[in-house]
Amino acid sequence: MVNANRPVRADYYHVLAECLTEETLVVTALGNASYLWAKIQDRPKNFYFEDAMGLALPLALGLAVAQPKRKVVVVEGDGGLLMHLGVLVTVGAVAPKNLTVLLIQNGVHAASGGQALTNANLDFAEIGRTMGLAHTENIASAVSFRKAIAASLKRPGPSMLVLATEPDLKAVMPPMPLDPMRTKQRFSEAIGAPRYVSTFFGGGKLVTP
Amino acid sequence: MTARKIAGEPHRPSDLLDALRGLGVQMAVSVPDSWLGEILIRIDQDPAMSLIRATHEEEALAIACGARLGGLRPVLMIQNVGLLTIGAGMVSLAMRFQFPLLILASYRGTKEDAIFYHIPKARVTEPVLRGYGLSHALADPKRPIGEQVVQAATYAEESSNPFVLLLSKADVQW
Repeated sequence: MVNANRPVRADYYHVLAECLTEETLVVTALGNASYLWAKIQDRPKNFYFEDAMGLALPLALGLAVAQPKRKVVVVEGDGGLLMHLGVLVTVGAVAPKNLTVLLIQNGVHAASGGQALTNANLDFAEIGRTMGLAHTENIASAVSFRKAIAASLKRPGPSMLVLATEPDLKAVMPPMPLDPMRTKQRFSEAIGAPRYVSTFFGGGKLVTP
Repeated sequence: MTARKIAGEPHRPSDLLDALRGLGVQMAVSVPDSWLGEILIRIDQDPAMSLIRATHEEEALAIACGARLGGLRPVLMIQNVGLLTIGAGMVSLAMRFQFPLLILASYRGTKEDAIFYHIPKARVTEPVLRGYGLSHALADPKRPIGEQVVQAATYAEESSNPFVLLLSKADVQW
């Protein structure tokens, strides 16, 4: 829940960087969710959004189903989630055990200049429970987050940690352009995903490297 | 074959389903449509495939993109109205990141489906697809549906972009 004395996004991100294993896949929503994460912990197993607001969580859901042996962590904002709140129903129904949602609850549309949310005071943890997520929790400090993310990466999910966060309205410049094809190609290679071999080369099918 | 076949007549929905199996499609992501109802049940019952029932077509598109990113071969199965609601995710996710998705859409509101509330969707479906710059085709009723599904999937892969195959009632309703 939104309250006073909230941590900033970087406080949570530094903890996340320390808690991740090399195998964990990370999907980040548009804006500073991606820009700051790229600056703090760029790694091949990150998938960065720069647009497509509200679609980071459904993409992460599909990824979690496709990669059941790997943990998938997705960072979404409260504004983004409100654009596709129904996806929580789908997450609850599909119930991927390897999915952890980190919901940045800052009460504003930070990536679009801090415009007010339709409702800045929703209890997303309660909403997530209602929609069938296995574990949801409101978090208001980096210390609490350290314990919660460590536990979440061990227990069966899907989990959602709702992180009360101070808005960050100024865009953080990432250390490199987040070119979508580079992001996708690098990610696919890092997880050893099958690649399509063209019919020109006698393929016409997906082949595991 | 899973089909009931009437003496010599191809059962196009089961041929379509066989084509998906032949392509190695492991996941269907769908939003409900009455024509698609039974084939989705068949997919759900198929041990080689999983079915995710999404709450919105744009959500379904993103789930399919994630599944493909993770190495699966998904198919998106929606009504053509979903091609109208899906626009932002189509251009800013699926096309921007060049996900080669096979999209099978029931084409409601055509002359064979002259229901008053579907007709407006049919009127704009193809212009909207052209507006997106999205490759698409109408299933040819005179050709086997299975080979058209394979061609659509192949085009998506070779072009590294989504491809929409618009399906008639006979193609998809069990």
